[in-house]
Amino acid sequence: MERRRFLRNAGAGIVGVSALAGCRSPSGDDEGPTRTDSGNGTTTGAATTTSLGGTLRVATYSSFTGEGTAGNWLKSAFESKYPDATVEFTTPENGLNQYVQRANEGAPIDADLYVGLNTGELARADEQLDESLFQSLREDVAGTDRIKGGLDIDPEGRALPYDTGYISLVYDENEVAQPETFDALLEPEYEGDLIVQNAQQSDPGRAFLLWTILAKDVDGYLDYWQGLQDNGVTIMSDWEPAYEAYMNDEAPMIVSYSTDQVYYHGEDVDMAKHQVGFLEDQGYANPEALAMFSSASNGDLGRRFVEFVLSEEAQAEIAERNVQFPAVEGVEMSEEFERYAYEPPEPVTFTYEELAGNVSTWIEDWARQVASK
Amino acid sequence: MRERAERLAVPLGLSATVAVLIVVFYYPVGSVLADAVFSDGRMTFAPIADVLTDPFYTGAAHHLFTDPLGVPVGLVEWLLAVEFFLFGVDLPPTSIGLFGFTAYQAALSTVASVALGLPGAYLLSRYEFPGRRTVRSLTILPFVLPGIMVAVGFLAMFGRNGLFNDVIGLVGLGPVEALFTLEIVVVAHAFYNAPLVTRLVTTAWESVDRRQVETARSMGATPFRAFRDVVVPQLLPSLLTASLLTFVFTFMTFPIVLALGGLQLATVEVWLYARVQNLELAEAAALGAIETAISLGLTYLYLRYEARQVATRSAGTPLARRQLFASVRSLRDPHRLALAGYGIVVLVVFVGPLASMVVESVTGPGGQFTLDYYRFLLSQQTSSATGTTRPLPAIVNSLRFGVGTLLLALPMGIVVAVVANRDVTGSRGAEAVLSAPLAVSGIVVGLGLLQTLVFGTVILDYRITVLGPIAIVFAHAVAAYPFVTRNVAPALGELDPRLVDAARSLGASRFRSLVDIELPLVASGVVAGAAFAFAISVGEFDSTVLLAEGVDSYTMPVALERYIGNRSLGPSLGAATAMGTVLLAVTAGSFVVIDRVGGRWQP
Repeated sequence: MERRRFLRNAGAGIVGVSALAGCRSPSGDDEGPTRTDSGNGTTTGAATTTSLGGTLRVATYSSFTGEGTAGNWLKSAFESKYPDATVEFTTPENGLNQYVQRANEGAPIDADLYVGLNTGELARADEQLDESLFQSLREDVAGTDRIKGGLDIDPEGRALPYDTGYISLVYDENEVAQPETFDALLEPEYEGDLIVQNAQQSDPGRAFLLWTILAKDVDGYLDYWQGLQDNGVTIMSDWEPAYEAYMNDEAPMIVSYSTDQVYYHGEDVDMAKHQVGFLEDQGYANPEALAMFSSASNGDLGRRFVEFVLSEEAQAEIAERNVQFPAVEGVEMSEEFERYAYEPPEPVTFTYEELAGNVSTWIEDWARQVASK
Repeated sequence: MRERAERLAVPLGLSATVAVLIVVFYYPVGSVLADAVFSDGRMTFAPIADVLTDPFYTGAAHHLFTDPLGVPVGLVEWLLAVEFFLFGVDLPPTSIGLFGFTAYQAALSTVASVALGLPGAYLLSRYEFPGRRTVRSLTILPFVLPGIMVAVGFLAMFGRNGLFNDVIGLVGLGPVEALFTLEIVVVAHAFYNAPLVTRLVTTAWESVDRRQVETARSMGATPFRAFRDVVVPQLLPSLLTASLLTFVFTFMTFPIVLALGGLQLATVEVWLYARVQNLELAEAAALGAIETAISLGLTYLYLRYEARQVATRSAGTPLARRQLFASVRSLRDPHRLALAGYGIVVLVVFVGPLASMVVESVTGPGGQFTLDYYRFLLSQQTSSATGTTRPLPAIVNSLRFGVGTLLLALPMGIVVAVVANRDVTGSRGAEAVLSAPLAVSGIVVGLGLLQTLVFGTVILDYRITVLGPIAIVFAHAVAAYPFVTRNVAPALGELDPRLVDAARSLGASRFRSLVDIELPLVASGVVAGAAFAFAISVGEFDSTVLLAEGVDSYTMPVALERYIGNRSLGPSLGAATAMGTVLLAVTAGSFVVIDRVGGRWQP
């Protein structure tokens, strides 16, 4: 019990349907319904801060930016709030490692903010570097008090979550009954039925492995996985080819996200194939965070950007466009999202302290067991 | 003046080649592999020793390193383990190790590639049929496909509900559960590498002098005897080259294994990648160094063998091609029947996955016909939003880099081929070292480029970075030129040295005799090398993304990769398959053009 930390949001998933939230227009320029700002209204007041300007360099993953993405919405909305500011995206192929290695080699870091960080990555960056890659933000940014409990991934307040996904099973109810527990997956009934992703390189794969460690303990997870292997689990490289295999009926269950139905609903879709199954009534929370580099050259603008990201307006847009859940309390999502995105009855996740110094070993031991020949 | 320039052309070309290699290959790779032998400025072999003594990596063979005196026993144990593995006997947890398994699947893949590639070479070099030249041009198409597209194609072709099972189901067979097995990984490797066998052997077969065969026949040799004693020795170097390349490539295989086989079939390269992701660079360096030592060692042994082959040929007429469809009676000819059987295998293994990928690009999630994915490409093209990846610039960039690589890799490869054919002590070793770009893991090269050229090197207080289109072309050319060398060097080596001597005694410089006499005689090898250089450049991903300056110098594979993560059409690989189809079409057209243009230059 002491290793796990429950997230304290009371299953807001199905309850909070609001009449205000209609269909959002795909373009970020014309706003949909107006929202009442229930949070810290003062922090986003445009009048006092328009003097801030310059270029803000944001490093992120490539699908965060482009037509219709959360990144591009943030850029245009932030730039219209601060007319003298420009947001520029850079998308290094190897993600955060690019900056950890740059810091290690003494090479310059050409970005102010990093968007798209998870707990394990932050822990690994801290292990690698003597001086922190990021600076503390929590005290200097308004709105952090509204972040959902348990999503706060960094005890030092450097990385702040902006959305979260929940890892769950997605299964085809025409083929299998929903497995209720981890142990059920070891039953002959489910032999050869599960596709997962390689925890060495895939986000949902890593989250699922960590979830099994929460469920079965550090001493027990390898035995549990031996059972899964004996029951014919398939471990594929990444989520995309795995999901492709699932859609091609290679197996009736896959480790995926609880927002699956947001993509798949409607009259011509076989919803039976997109059932979301929470094992043990849990889902593993995988928050995405942003942080400001210690070397950031435009810190003031960066902090305003972070505040803007946490604002209610931006939170709804980010969640909708990323098809993830907002990271702050009390955000109203579209009716469609509320209906088709499920939050687990009991969200679970590892904290930074639990992962630091452990996560690499856990994954390595697991991978060695699977690949031993 | 001109004479002098020509005299210096070969040495200058070699110096320029070595200089480029140092900047975009030896220095970056050295910076990574140094971690395996240096720690805090001191020599150490700890990382390599750690790997070699770890049963996970070396299986029962770890005794070789932990207990050298027990070597005979250890070796027997390891060989037994391999033996048991081959016959599918259940094994104790540590047996052949990651390296043993990696070598094992590479050997199987090599055998499969030769088995699938060799009949193709026979067909293309000995028979005439409509579209032969186009088919020949298209043989290297699989080479440019990103791994994930091959996975999509194989999934749609060989999956539980794939086309293959549908077809064999019609005759009451199946279904075959092929995915996530070693067999499908081996077939996918053959999909990539059999074209290499076909292309290299076809080139050699086409340059067999028919007069030599006719002489043998007139002296009473049976057709089989003439084939065995005259033709086979001339094909063998190219066949062994292709086998060596296939083994080295599949030894360092990476995306295909996990996408089609799963982590249970992991290879050394999968581990290397995970180490780099985890920034455990010393262990990554040790794995990379051992991989490189094995690949380079094999290359060196092979080159020694090739040098001992004494086959000479002069300018000659190639063997006449038979008509594939000569008459109704020819349909009963056993050779042609066998080729028809081969045709079916080609349809299943090569055409099937490619066609399946194209079909996926027009198939919606519910199985219905759709053009949405192509509309998506058009909408990306017309979008003005920042960070949008547009298809047209990707195509233009790919073609620009491809042509640039071809123009740079051809002279580099030819110069190295000339050097390799000198009968000087150490020239084999020199060629092996110069072939290193084939033998070093792509992940190590990428990491090296990142640490040196991208991060920059401080020289005299200035941080020098090498980025942008020129750096990309250089990096592609370094990856591509060994293919030119491997296509040209064996053919050059077999030329009658008297031809060159005659030209030289008439006053031609080394350069003149090369350009006017030798290269035209080995033109088909040069054209094949050019096609490979272009293919390598178009298919290259790692160094392209690393060396791109800004976000706009993306190529077709990079665009494809970004569309994989694009969710605007939902979580689907549809947009990527549409881009994959565009990639196929553009490169297919390019290969036909390269062969046609190159063909004009052939005598």
